[in-house]
Amino acid sequence: MFCLDTYLRESEDYTIHLSRAGFKDCAKFIEKNAKRVIHVPAGTKVIGARIIGIPPVPIGVDDEKSTIMLPYTKPCYGTAVVEIPVPPEEIRMIESKII
Amino acid sequence: MKKALILLGCPESPSQTPLAIYAAYKLDKMGFEVTLASTPSAMKLLEVSDPEGHYIKNKIDLESCLDTIKEGDYQLLIGFAHKDAAVSYFVTFYYILNTKSIALVFHHDAEKLEAFEEVIKSSTDAEIVSARAYHNPTPIRVRLDRVLKPLGEL
Repeated sequence: MFCLDTYLRESEDYTIHLSRAGFKDCAKFIEKNAKRVIHVPAGTKVIGARIIGIPPVPIGVDDEKSTIMLPYTKPCYGTAVVEIPVPPEEIRMIESKII
Repeated sequence: MKKALILLGCPESPSQTPLAIYAAYKLDKMGFEVTLASTPSAMKLLEVSDPEGHYIKNKIDLESCLDTIKEGDYQLLIGFAHKDAAVSYFVTFYYILNTKSIALVFHHDAEKLEAFEEVIKSSTDAEIVSARAYHNPTPIRVRLDRVLKPLGEL
């Protein structure tokens, strides 16, 4: 099972655009800054981890770089916006969950 | 047997632990099999408060619970919504479980309280139990009793 938590701890290949923020601010950031935005239901599994948020949850997609930008919430630390590389098939999988 | 999930958030609010134990006690009396899902730090507070497990009979790590739960696993969700992240967790669990849900919304700041209520109201059909409270669990406890009463009569 892919664990985003472990990925962020063990990899340096990611960008944190916002941290310790509210979900609303993170959603706005993604809507404004992502090259392309798709919306998924709360609880959708993206790269194996369930996305926490208020639906419709925005996921930013950069097809050229093959990265996604997603809200990442932890109970005591609020929500962050994280951009991570994913294989193109993962982007297609997320697109299949669009609402 | 009917199953209830009590969803805890960050334990920094002093009211959360006593209210979680109280809700578990009430639901157990009403015939629910109760499970508490929480972070490791919130779990430690529960374990120290109820060392012999009189009230907390089933517990699960929040992240494991999130990974495995599915619609139909629980017939009632009670979630603490006292921080922005806790509101997001509650709404997410609400959509996964798609069942009768009660949000316990409390904060000492009236604006934040109103904002949390608004998010839950606009994104779910959950029943909202709210009070401007932080250290004192009584306002939420009294309102929770009112909401639970009809469930016990079913």
